[in-house]
Amino acid sequence: MTRSFRFLEQVALADSAFEASGDSPTELFLAAGQAVIETMANPTTVSARWERVIERTNPELAALLFDWLSDMVFLKDAEGVVFRDATAVVTEDRPNGGWKLRGTLTGEPIDPGRHELRNDVKAVTKHLYEVRQEDGRWIARVVLDI
Amino acid sequence: MKLQTQMPVNRVTDEIWEIPPSAKDGMLVPARIYATEQILTSMDSGVFEQVTNVACLPGIRRYALCMPDGHWGYGFPIGGVAAMDLESGVISPGGIGFDINCGMRLIRTNLVREDVQPKLDQLMTELFRRVPAGVGSRGFVRLNRQEFEEVMRKGARWCIERGYGWHEDLERIEERGCLPGADPSKISDHAVTRGINQLGTLGSGNHYLEVQVASNDRIFDRETAAALGITGHDQIVVMVHCGSRGFGHQVASDYLQVFEKAMRRYGITVKDQQLACAPFRSPEGQDYFAAMNCAANSAFANRQVITHQIREAFSTVLGTSAEELGMEIVYDVAHNIAKVERYKEGELVVHRKGATRAFGPGQPELPERFRKIGQPVICGGSMETGSYLLVGTHQAMEETFGSTMHGSGRTMSRAQAKRSVRGEQLQKDMQKRGIIVKAVSMSGLAEEAGFAYKNISDVVEAVDRAGITKKVAELRPIGNIKG
Repeated sequence: MTRSFRFLEQVALADSAFEASGDSPTELFLAAGQAVIETMANPTTVSARWERVIERTNPELAALLFDWLSDMVFLKDAEGVVFRDATAVVTEDRPNGGWKLRGTLTGEPIDPGRHELRNDVKAVTKHLYEVRQEDGRWIARVVLDI
Repeated sequence: MKLQTQMPVNRVTDEIWEIPPSAKDGMLVPARIYATEQILTSMDSGVFEQVTNVACLPGIRRYALCMPDGHWGYGFPIGGVAAMDLESGVISPGGIGFDINCGMRLIRTNLVREDVQPKLDQLMTELFRRVPAGVGSRGFVRLNRQEFEEVMRKGARWCIERGYGWHEDLERIEERGCLPGADPSKISDHAVTRGINQLGTLGSGNHYLEVQVASNDRIFDRETAAALGITGHDQIVVMVHCGSRGFGHQVASDYLQVFEKAMRRYGITVKDQQLACAPFRSPEGQDYFAAMNCAANSAFANRQVITHQIREAFSTVLGTSAEELGMEIVYDVAHNIAKVERYKEGELVVHRKGATRAFGPGQPELPERFRKIGQPVICGGSMETGSYLLVGTHQAMEETFGSTMHGSGRTMSRAQAKRSVRGEQLQKDMQKRGIIVKAVSMSGLAEEAGFAYKNISDVVEAVDRAGITKKVAELRPIGNIKG
């Protein structure tokens, strides 16, 4: 299983865009989650003292990914945390159709003295937003408002 | 002239350029860009694409406008202005931005540079301590939900009632720091939870708090400057750039989802998903307007609490009360907002996204003190260059729905800026040039380097020559706080 992400420079001059990909929806969610984590702070400076489980369903995989990333932006402000890591399992929600996510975020309350803080993400946007399957890989393009 | 568009762009004057409705299917009005030829040629292709998309929105009147600091944004370009008919037009969160009522505030003092210079480092440290900045920062004001709802309804007035400001502050804030029609019942629990702890915080990105100097040689209109409390002689002033923080961002996110569904219901199609909109008079449109006003009022309150903290910091470090230091607000302007205003077409909902209201002299909406000179306009430059104080004009009322530019506008990506300079190095270089910088994030600091922005003087010159605002003074930084 492989996953990766890369920041896209010329897509949003004043903001932050990335392309994430993975062999499966789960790997895609992990890669995109990692991109958001690294946009906010350097995760190697953050410990895992705080944990939150996120469970969501959505008929559309793209909307489920949007929700997952938006949850991270919300929790950053609501709980005052930055993130160390994310785990996720994305499966087809067979009885209802659509998709199901069970994810876990770890991190700790923001401490500017210890954490290498980066950008305060305002929102996940729909600008150029897409999730597609190409040559067996799941790929997402996401623009974050900074 | 080589432009980053294939569309026809016709010269109207040396500072006004027009794209005719024939340039794109669905354009209801022409698009007009305010810029010098030099600025126009440097504008990214997104500006031309987006301002013409805006020209397609239902109920748009006269022109879709873009100011000279314009660049690509979500849906609307940054620097975009559009006025929609109240009955047949729409309201679009993309025309306001995620950071609802992001704005600028300028505070004057009786101090001059030599009073502050020996204690500047101590002053910046005290400001940095008192005004939290950076990712997820939290303020000192603790609110329960009922109190937060009062903030949404009352805006800056709530702060004055709590002792975070002076009564006379209110008349120096756009709309006296409180937009009518705010209805907290239109706000999600998510938005409340996200924003309730953030009153009095700066945020990050291009937000800042800056200690600046007004020197004699950079005052362009001495009489107007004096009327605004700007006396020159290396006078110290303080500028704040921030908005409604996580609360406003969540309101925008929530209603973009609502509007996506509403568009299907009302049969509206738009050229870009981020232009999601609803008829202004529809239940969805009115709900968003009421929620947006809540967020706008929280932003006025945010800048008011920060003002209180600035006064406290100056008073602590200089050992004199803020009153004795003459720390009056010069003005506070919103530059991400939609407001109902009256023009020759009647009442319109004017969207300003990275654009500032610039009402001219005589406007009845202005308090008495600004009635003769016009409304003060505050435009923030990059942290290395300078910022400007201007005033609105009659011409702005005639041409641009009383609107003008808001800042310098980015020209370089954040990643490229970070590759060009390290935050630590930039901090040292700026210190050598007499600017003390306190930053939460060194990478964030590098992203905001001066070379990543247009030259603000060029942008200001464009609006001054176009006549939609007149420059009063340039203000140069000596201390900066970044998130």
